[in-house]
Amino acid sequence: MATEMKNLGSKFTLLFAAVFIFFPLYAATEYSLRNGAEKTHDLTAYRWILDQSGFAENLAITARITAVAVVINLLIMVPTVTWLHLSGQRYKRFVEILTIMPLIIPVVALATGAQIAFPSILKNSIYQLSFMYVVIAMPYTYRALDIGLSSHPLATLTQAARSLGATWIRVLTQVIVPTIKPSIYAALFLMVALSLGEYTLAQLLHWSTFPVWVTNVSQQNITGATALSVGSIFFAWVLLFGFTFFGGKNSKTVKEEA
Amino acid sequence: MKGASTRRGAFHGFLSQFPLPLLPMFLLVLVFFLWPIGSLTVNAFKSNEGAFTFSNITMLFQDPYRLAFKNSITLGLVSALVGSVPGLLIAIAIEKQSNQTLKKFVASISGVLANTGGVPLAFMFLAAFGPAGLVISVLKSIGIDLYGVGFNLFSFTGLVIVYAYFQIPIMVIVISPAISSLRREWKDSAANLGASKLHYWIRVGIPLLLPSFIACYLLLFASAFSAYATARALTVGNIALVPLQIGSLIDGNVNIQQFNLGYALAFGMIIVSILAMLPYIWIQSRTSKWQQK
Repeated sequence: MATEMKNLGSKFTLLFAAVFIFFPLYAATEYSLRNGAEKTHDLTAYRWILDQSGFAENLAITARITAVAVVINLLIMVPTVTWLHLSGQRYKRFVEILTIMPLIIPVVALATGAQIAFPSILKNSIYQLSFMYVVIAMPYTYRALDIGLSSHPLATLTQAARSLGATWIRVLTQVIVPTIKPSIYAALFLMVALSLGEYTLAQLLHWSTFPVWVTNVSQQNITGATALSVGSIFFAWVLLFGFTFFGGKNSKTVKEEA
Repeated sequence: MKGASTRRGAFHGFLSQFPLPLLPMFLLVLVFFLWPIGSLTVNAFKSNEGAFTFSNITMLFQDPYRLAFKNSITLGLVSALVGSVPGLLIAIAIEKQSNQTLKKFVASISGVLANTGGVPLAFMFLAAFGPAGLVISVLKSIGIDLYGVGFNLFSFTGLVIVYAYFQIPIMVIVISPAISSLRREWKDSAANLGASKLHYWIRVGIPLLLPSFIACYLLLFASAFSAYATARALTVGNIALVPLQIGSLIDGNVNIQQFNLGYALAFGMIIVSILAMLPYIWIQSRTSKWQQK
């Protein structure tokens, strides 16, 4: 009886959380479907989005920035964290401090500093954002990779592969990466999430990305702005949820194989 | 236990021993993080003529900047409270569920929501909680007239409500490891030794969770304190907040003097954040010891 009551309490908490999460979204969706003139619901506001100039261009810009950030993550973060686990344990503390710093320093301050510091070659390239996004995401991506690497006997796997004659590149690409694939997906998921929605750096450094464009267009039409917001939230959710699902599926297979 | 021998000749030793595999990541952080922050700090102490001065910093203690710091810090404290308590309860409730699919679903949705910030979030709430929004009309139909009692989304309260939408999920994510590492054995041994449920929580559960809770609270404080996008979209210049002041000082057609003031404001934000986050890092490094299974 007592445990049942308790379970009821936690079920109620979760129900409350679900209402808190989904009701505003539902309400916003309803609002975005309103047709003010005819007091009906239709897709007018969504059609308005597609009529705005810059929709496709800005979406493409954000996609490119995100792609570059993902590539940098794969090329720099994954090998570095792997190395830290295999033979660089002495430096783990140093790297941990390095990666936690973006959590401490507000993004507004980073944007301000970048404006002063960067030479024009960096200032003139929109891909400076990709690099900064990688750094801002580090507290999360580093932890995701670290957890994944900690939960596997990497040293043993590596020694086994090496003693069978594999080169280091082969060890990395054919032993380590497949083993920690779920954590790599998790890290990339966090990277994509951050990169798709980032507004502060882009706006303060005067770049037109999708979130910046959304804000600018939103000034003109409140229903349209709601449609745009609901649309971009759903878009991000579907993408990100797909990512976690994909990554989650893989973690299951790895566990089953182990 | 760091090796004592490596302390000798600190900087030179550091350079000659710097491991090559760390270089790409270190360069990345150096160029895209440490360098901007360093320049910012230096410029916060520079006058128009480029001479060293404290005058930008002393400006921070005068209105409107003093007020902005007061507002931003209050917003951080209140928003962290509004996010951390429900977040903790939800995380405990999730831990109790045996349904793995539900757990995974909540974990995924928290990850997604924690990243749903910025402008779309502001507009979503504008539509839902605006005077013509569905939330308001549903509440009205059950007799609660929010706007009748002086509610306004473009206000401090409004910001706290909107921030809760990403603060609660962040709390769920960061506190969950602490909750799931409260080991079942501890509960059982406490019960074996004759402790009641209440006893267990007072003597074991709460003392173990409290440091993590404080750490997570501080993280939420920092997140609300420095939030920019949502605040910019939602307020109409009616609430003085530090990030927004920096934005307008750096952004617009202002004179050089105000640029330096902007740098000083950003430097002030860094100091506040560091003060909040140092205990966070310290607590996290202590609790990670018993949280590892």
